[in-house]
Amino acid sequence: MADFLINWIANVPAFAVPFALAALGLIVTEKSGVLSLGAEGFMLTGAMAGAGAFLVMGGHPFAALLVAALAAAALSLVFAAMTVTLRVNQVIAGLAIVFLAQGLTGLIAAKQGWTNRPVEGLGRLDLGPLSDLPVVGPILFSQDIVVYLTVPIFLAVTYVLSRTMVGLRLRAVGDGPDAADAAGVNVALYRYGAIMVGAALVGLAGGYLSVGVAKLWVDGMAGGRGWIAIALVIFARWQPWRALAGAVLFGGIEALIPRIAAVGLQVPQYFVLMTPYVATLAVMVWASLRAGAQNRFDEPRALGQPHLREERR
Amino acid sequence: MADIGHRDMAILSKPEEAGNTNRARIGRLGLESRQHAPGWYQALVLAGGVLAGLAVSALILMASGIGFAELANEFVVAIFTNAQNVSAVLTQAAPLLIAGLAAAVAFRVRFWNIGIEGQMIMGSIAATAVAIGDVGPEWARLGLMTLAAALGGLAWMLLPALLRIRLSVNEIISTLLLNYVAFNLLLHLLYGPWKDPRSSFPYSQQFDAAERLAPIGWQTLTYALPLALVLAALCWWLLNVSRVGFFTRVIHANPKMAAAMGLPVVAVTLGAALLSGALAGVAGFAVSAGVEYRMTQSFFVGYGFSGILIAFMARNNPLGAVLVALFVATLFVASQSLQVFYQIPGSMVQLIQAVMVIAVASSEFFIRFRIRLVR
Repeated sequence: MADFLINWIANVPAFAVPFALAALGLIVTEKSGVLSLGAEGFMLTGAMAGAGAFLVMGGHPFAALLVAALAAAALSLVFAAMTVTLRVNQVIAGLAIVFLAQGLTGLIAAKQGWTNRPVEGLGRLDLGPLSDLPVVGPILFSQDIVVYLTVPIFLAVTYVLSRTMVGLRLRAVGDGPDAADAAGVNVALYRYGAIMVGAALVGLAGGYLSVGVAKLWVDGMAGGRGWIAIALVIFARWQPWRALAGAVLFGGIEALIPRIAAVGLQVPQYFVLMTPYVATLAVMVWASLRAGAQNRFDEPRALGQPHLREERR
Repeated sequence: MADIGHRDMAILSKPEEAGNTNRARIGRLGLESRQHAPGWYQALVLAGGVLAGLAVSALILMASGIGFAELANEFVVAIFTNAQNVSAVLTQAAPLLIAGLAAAVAFRVRFWNIGIEGQMIMGSIAATAVAIGDVGPEWARLGLMTLAAALGGLAWMLLPALLRIRLSVNEIISTLLLNYVAFNLLLHLLYGPWKDPRSSFPYSQQFDAAERLAPIGWQTLTYALPLALVLAALCWWLLNVSRVGFFTRVIHANPKMAAAMGLPVVAVTLGAALLSGALAGVAGFAVSAGVEYRMTQSFFVGYGFSGILIAFMARNNPLGAVLVALFVATLFVASQSLQVFYQIPGSMVQLIQAVMVIAVASSEFFIRFRIRLVR
């Protein structure tokens, strides 16, 4: 039992990190008032680009992760042009991006022969004697580098969002774009920036999925994690640290799935595979039951609304 | 983009300088909402968007190694000069049209049903249960299967619809999550109790003759197509002629206004959402009983987004949906031959559809706004 628990907990971070980074990216984008339903697409783009870059560039995991983030940011320019410049309905734009990414990643990976090609990927760090410690060794001291970097990334993003001028302006653009515009903030610039930085983080989550966890690319491998991340952001009321907690919860569920069969529990496997989605739904219901009148202020007030200076209210 | 600097320059600079420097004369580009765009102009912009989307799609296909002549051949000549291919397109169009209607009915009340694929699965599961269990007399079997499919899709929509209405849980995410749940249920059945006893492959046993939509008598066409057309006509009546249709139009324009006017917003929204689920269930039945004659693992793939695209391009008009469904069906059929002859993966269909949506959605910018030079 103890072995089972240690083994399980040691695997939670690798499953939690994609949710955490994706949710953080979504928070950055949505704080600027842009509803980002394209997360699944950016995640797929990052995953495919990461695996591809690893194969093409001679196996540098960091370069692969960087390419993953950049590829998603590049694709997000299409989304930004649609939503910010052309004022397309943000739901339609987000869905279009998801399907664009599904088609594009499938096509490119098939043409390049990257599908189902195992990559060596990102290894776990070996911290010598620390990693060999009982219990805490496998849990705390033998994760891969991205797991350790996730907390500084969260610190940096929350610091920028809540303690700097850039963060203040970004939140102003998301809460009251008309007022921000009147105060001289370039609404379009901030929204473009928030979309690209957010997509880069979601792309990094995707790259981690292919290069760090699965160590290969298969079509549609994000498997709804982008959508779960969107639900996590609502559940976390757009607060990064609560999103991280939610990510650990979902990482825990996902890490448990392959272990249920291993210990010989007789549960039909496809019902077990449903659990992340059912749990997400449950979490959304819980979040909305709990959301009283004052909780509604957590949501960026201009979320989903295009800004048009000429229609200032 | 908008640039305050230039305008301020114009205000701040002295009159004689303003006449001399170029910089002061340039205003900024502003946007102006059009109150009304004439019909011919809207059609022109829409055509421009469609053409741009087709051009980008053609470029993508050519970049994947298909020559322009071959492209024209695969998409136009091979399909419209060959009765067998025309029949294939029409056969494919039937379930696509029903999926498009499902999307259109929901979008009309601003309910984003992204769960069409999940509802198709549940519809097909319900219909297949009737078929496998030989429920009812043979003459009534197809009717029972259709009814079961509609109820299956409706039941799958019940939870997201109620959650949205009672608790304002975002229906985009809830309907989408239920797709994955339904898919896993499908796999459970196909790898478990419903595995074909003859071949042990993970698909259901074949439907009996009485459980299949009968052939019409021309090529391989079945009664799925008339069924889809009748549903389109009924949806058109419901959305564009009936009193409820008027309510949906007001709700679409402004839900708060509709509620303030005393319209039954909750009832109409719930009804439209459930109808959408039921239609999606029937779409699943149309694939299983009209094309594949059994329930397979991936019969629903691609219909969800295609339905959304059909509703979006047709502006939620059921009659327009017929045209768009034919276009998407052509894409599906052409892509099958591209897969065989040019090793183009099936995801190309999704890619082209996404490009079309992006092009058309972006072109609407020119319908909604006019660019003005503001001095």
